[in-house]
Amino acid sequence: MRRTLLTGNGAAAWGARLAEADYVPAFPITPQTEIIEALAGWSERGEMAGRVVTLDSEHSMLTAAAAAAATGVRVFTATSSQGLLYGMEMIYTAPGWRAPFVMVNVSRALASPITLEADHNDILAARDSGFLQIHCATCQEVLDSVLMAYRLAEHPQVRLPAIVNLDGFYLSFTREPVVIPDQEQVRRFLPPFDPGNVAFRADRPASQAALVLGGSLYSYFRYEAHLATLQALTAYEEVAQAFEREMGRRYPAVEAYRAEDAEYIFFLMGAYATKAKDAVNRLRERGMRIGVVRPRLLRPYPARILQELLRGRRAVAVIDQNLSMGMGGILYSELASALYGMKDAPMLVSYIGGLGGRDISTEELFTMAAQTREAADAGVTPEPRLLYTAAELREVRKMQTIAGSKLPGHMEGKNDE
Amino acid sequence: MSEGTIKSMKNLPQEHILGEGTSLCAGCGGLGALHQIYDLLGEKTVIVNAAGCMTSLAIYPYTPFRGSWLYTAMASAASGAQGIRDALDVLIAQGRLPTEDDLTVIALAGDGSSYGMGLSATSAAIERNLDFLYICYDNEGYGNTGQQFSAATPWGARTTTSRGGHHGKKKDLFAIWAAHHPVYAATVIGAEPLDLARKVEKAIRLRGPRLILAMAPCPTGWGYDPQETVEIGRLAVRCGIWPLKEYEEGRLTHTRIPQPRIPVEEYLQKQSRFRHLFKPERNAEAIAHIQAEVDRYWSNVA
Amino acid sequence: MFRIRFHGRGGQGMKTAANLLSRAFFLEGYEIQDAPRYGSERRGAPIFAYVRADREPILERGAITRPDLILVADDSLIHNPSAGVLQNVNSRTVLLIHSEVPGEVWKDRLQFPGTIIGLPLSAVARSGAQIPVVSASCTGAAAGLVGVIRRETLEPALREELTRLGESVIAQNLETALSAYDAMQPYAGCVKEGGALSAEDYAPPDWIEIPYEDSTISAPVIYRTATSEQIQTGLWRTRRPLIDYSHCNRCSWVCSTFCPDSAIHVDPDRTPHIDYEHCKGCMICLAVCPPHAIYMEKEQPAPIEGGAR
Repeated sequence: MRRTLLTGNGAAAWGARLAEADYVPAFPITPQTEIIEALAGWSERGEMAGRVVTLDSEHSMLTAAAAAAATGVRVFTATSSQGLLYGMEMIYTAPGWRAPFVMVNVSRALASPITLEADHNDILAARDSGFLQIHCATCQEVLDSVLMAYRLAEHPQVRLPAIVNLDGFYLSFTREPVVIPDQEQVRRFLPPFDPGNVAFRADRPASQAALVLGGSLYSYFRYEAHLATLQALTAYEEVAQAFEREMGRRYPAVEAYRAEDAEYIFFLMGAYATKAKDAVNRLRERGMRIGVVRPRLLRPYPARILQELLRGRRAVAVIDQNLSMGMGGILYSELASALYGMKDAPMLVSYIGGLGGRDISTEELFTMAAQTREAADAGVTPEPRLLYTAAELREVRKMQTIAGSKLPGHMEGKNDE
Repeated sequence: MSEGTIKSMKNLPQEHILGEGTSLCAGCGGLGALHQIYDLLGEKTVIVNAAGCMTSLAIYPYTPFRGSWLYTAMASAASGAQGIRDALDVLIAQGRLPTEDDLTVIALAGDGSSYGMGLSATSAAIERNLDFLYICYDNEGYGNTGQQFSAATPWGARTTTSRGGHHGKKKDLFAIWAAHHPVYAATVIGAEPLDLARKVEKAIRLRGPRLILAMAPCPTGWGYDPQETVEIGRLAVRCGIWPLKEYEEGRLTHTRIPQPRIPVEEYLQKQSRFRHLFKPERNAEAIAHIQAEVDRYWSNVA
Repeated sequence: MFRIRFHGRGGQGMKTAANLLSRAFFLEGYEIQDAPRYGSERRGAPIFAYVRADREPILERGAITRPDLILVADDSLIHNPSAGVLQNVNSRTVLLIHSEVPGEVWKDRLQFPGTIIGLPLSAVARSGAQIPVVSASCTGAAAGLVGVIRRETLEPALREELTRLGESVIAQNLETALSAYDAMQPYAGCVKEGGALSAEDYAPPDWIEIPYEDSTISAPVIYRTATSEQIQTGLWRTRRPLIDYSHCNRCSWVCSTFCPDSAIHVDPDRTPHIDYEHCKGCMICLAVCPPHAIYMEKEQPAPIEGGAR
């Protein structure tokens, strides 16, 4: 065990290395590329036994990943954003094979317009696929979650592929102190992959992923995958406890920070959660009883845990770093559905922020807290709010003017320079 | 290179191991080629299937295979083959799989996938020198959806999306493969079992990317009585529109040079997809164009 | 509402038959709904199509579970379980089978609860007519049996649906449809509209909670080999190849190699055998046999056993 400095991408690569992944089908995409570069380097230098093969696309990469898992080896892969979408046919296909593997997604906002920085629309597009999803807030958590994801995905009662998600830039390129566990420690926590009877062998020929005709068979297989996903809720507890015993770090399915006595809650996932914790510390100094609730496990959805954690609070500020066009925040609607009809359910206030890597400032967190308290006092749920300032819009106007957009006179951007 | 064991019809497999009872059309030329190929490949195989007519070979819980099979997606049979080959290699290297239990990895795809959507993945697999056998059954259209034109549809053929005759020109998949310098590539047809068997036998013994490109006459999509599948295939070879050839160690060899070549219209007029070239009146220009293309091809064959 | 099902094989035009009938209903002022239903099966494999017709807008969807009339393109389908011809029949159901065997004989053989009418295709179609004409016969017979479609409506219905096939095809189909219509006049109106399902007197679904099951059984993996042999694709066959062993020269390979379905086995003594459970009747073997030792017969319906299922 040693403590060193790693980026989120570095931590993800170390997770795959320590899990002793046998096979890494890869394809580069910003901001994920460093992960596969690190693994390719280790593999070339013989520091890691696993085989790294660069495919021609994410669709091919995911096909190779699932096919290798179905042949009975431990597979790691990584992608981001457009790449995740390019592979989406296989993202939906792979879970039905019931061949577990782990993929890291480095969240990056989706086109159009094409951009580079983080938000969560990419990973949420995989929400209904059957992949398990674990969301990270720190670089340490990235490494640890990759290890936990293998044990969860390979759990005999689960056997589904899993995605570990980290935010582009905010974690992927950000260095933090990270404890790298010893290989022996990891081996004690994570036994070798047992493919069971789902593997191609000369003496056990099988036809996998066969076509089904008729809704009855289809419903059965799909619902069984759903039931297996739900099993992952219980299995997760077992995995988290084993991890804590071995490594001394505890990762609940839903992290609750200073929430025991909180009247108000910031509800969000990913790297911005640490900023929300910071804001909570400042607000508590001013006497506001507020905390953070952050789902790490998004699939399976920990509805019961969320109900327990949020019951009796006055109000929750739900901060969605995503946007479902024509609907709003996805975390908000999922949380509303989990809490609907519950006695003593809190008011939910919806914020959309951090799209395309836009910062969410601490001042904004303070203001969200204040608005949420006011809304609870007034008993009226406000309309969803996009975190966006007048100064930002002024900048946009300037650029629209440069781009030649014919703006009405009152909108024209003044070029200060 | 050692000599093959298949010298005459007598050496063809007597036992046919691909299970009966598949839901493919009666008289399917693709199945006609596949079952001959499978007899030679045997059971220690894993077939990675792209979306197409052959998707419905295995309909849960019914499979015709005696070896293994995996359904993937339309674009990525070659990538699935990569994953399985790599995984088997890893298992063997780690001593978790005895070498004698290794499996031959096969990608199986139609022309829609092979000439189009799956071409990028296949090209990359050849470039990576993947040790796999790629079988394409070419029925010259998107057969599984009712014969729309694909990148393999010949000029002039009527499909459900080219009612007046296809305007595009069939891609030369064999040449595309050969341009990658694979270890082996061959065209075959179920109507010529000995030629097919010799090539498949050769392909099985080699390591690296190998193509078996089988023309697959399709009674449903091409419009003829199912019993004529073999006859149509023979005509395709005899008129020279489907050259039987192989690429090996950088050398192209024609394994059958039709001598003399029968007029291409003898092949065309048997299929309703070309009927508009003959009725209500004969389109001499179009027929001559198709003939000229065939003649031009063979004029370049030494 | 009339609820009508057409059963045939891929290639026999059951979708067209449904289209023609629903067009005729439509021209008579009915609201209609028609649709084909096929799996991945191909030419020769059983398919069905259905028509609903009512004076009110139709809210029902999907396959017909309470048929008033069932039309069968050829009698070899009756005992093909995957065709499902006899599914959900009741005492009100009228079953029309294109068959040389009379309806009373079928009723007795099948112990069918409703009415069965046998209609030989030879009675309504000129000899040499193309197979798809059976679809026109289905349409004409159905139109005659429901009793609410006038004879003169058939022509515009066929014209609207078959325009692109040309005049001679339309004429041939029309002649067949009218013959079938006329042949049904003794039974005109015997098909009655079925009522709506009662919201009180019905069989509730036996819903269960499906349990979580291990991935070793709950993934779509087939662990056994060659299970497709349990599928009797021989039932697709409308023509049967037969080997004349006095002419077979025991070449040992031609017919069995060219049979795409691996349905011809060769004994060690080089005698070929056709597996009729699986032979789809493509007749490639007949076409390729060098000494012409294979000949063809029209497929006869399988021996009848048991009753309606």
